[in-house]
Amino acid sequence: MPERNTPQKTLESWKQIAAYLDRSERTVRRWEESEGLPVHRREHEKQDTVFAFRHEIEAWSRLRTKSPSEISIDEGESLPPVKSAANAYLVEHDAITRTMHCYIAGGRAGDGDLMRPAFHPSATISGYCQGVEYSGSIEHVFKWVTENGPAPHINPRFARIEIIESIAVVHLEVQHWSGKLAGANARASDVFTLLKRNGEWKITHKLFHWHDQ
Amino acid sequence: MTKSEYLTEYDGIVKIMQMYIDGSKQGKSELMRPAFHPDASFFGYAGEHLAIGTPFLFDWIDENGPASKIEPRVVSVDILGSIAVVRLEVAGWSGKLAGSDARMSDLFTLLKMPSGWTIIQKAFHWHA
Repeated sequence: MPERNTPQKTLESWKQIAAYLDRSERTVRRWEESEGLPVHRREHEKQDTVFAFRHEIEAWSRLRTKSPSEISIDEGESLPPVKSAANAYLVEHDAITRTMHCYIAGGRAGDGDLMRPAFHPSATISGYCQGVEYSGSIEHVFKWVTENGPAPHINPRFARIEIIESIAVVHLEVQHWSGKLAGANARASDVFTLLKRNGEWKITHKLFHWHDQ
Repeated sequence: MTKSEYLTEYDGIVKIMQMYIDGSKQGKSELMRPAFHPDASFFGYAGEHLAIGTPFLFDWIDENGPASKIEPRVVSVDILGSIAVVRLEVAGWSGKLAGSDARMSDLFTLLKMPSGWTIIQKAFHWHA
């Protein structure tokens, strides 16, 4: 597995990430859980060996500072991290919801780059919106989200998370979409397919049903 | 969705899945190709190797040849308006590439187009 970035551009532990953001380790762990702070995990190493890319942390941080109230996440979405590797299901389940929260945070902030780390580079999108088919590169989603702008009131619910070893499907129901392109109070049903790759869950496909009003 | 509408959609989806199953059983990708959307994607690990793209799948099916003893089971069919998710478990895979008595779990996502249901993605887990 080739390195995706040079070592000096990464933060190599919770301690370094916390120091970089000038917060406690506890706070940055909570931000990862509840606000989509982009933190990565290494495979084949002891649990909770993490690293982060500075450019991703900076992008996340800029948005959070810009509109903290818009990025805040419902209490119900903030679960305490599961410490025990003994419960393998919970570890995978939580890793998947972390990836999904990265997507949600990007949608809420109206920033396609913020959600980019949640996706596999070859990910694709499909679905119909008002009779027009959208099929192709996931870049369309990033562009749409950025053009749409903030959607501070989106209210996502996990309707289903199903894990089969290295693959998973997530059904997300999102209400109260708003923005330049979404209009007001729109609803989307999304089905995401994820692949576990080098210990990280990445979205490989987003399939959506837009509920026309 | 009324009950009869649900059954119509369900049957439409299962018919598409049958094309995949027939192609797998006979080792002929031409039988399953029409079930897939032109932009469909394909993801999963074949051993250590990450397999991406429907050409990989179709080549694999043709090269693997007949797998007459596969036992496919539809585990779930979820329909959300114009989209659907199907979980398929296939036991008893055999062939040049599959070896013998192998098992695969599949997650198919489908999109309903004006022409009918079509597979937009297949993600698989190969049980080593």
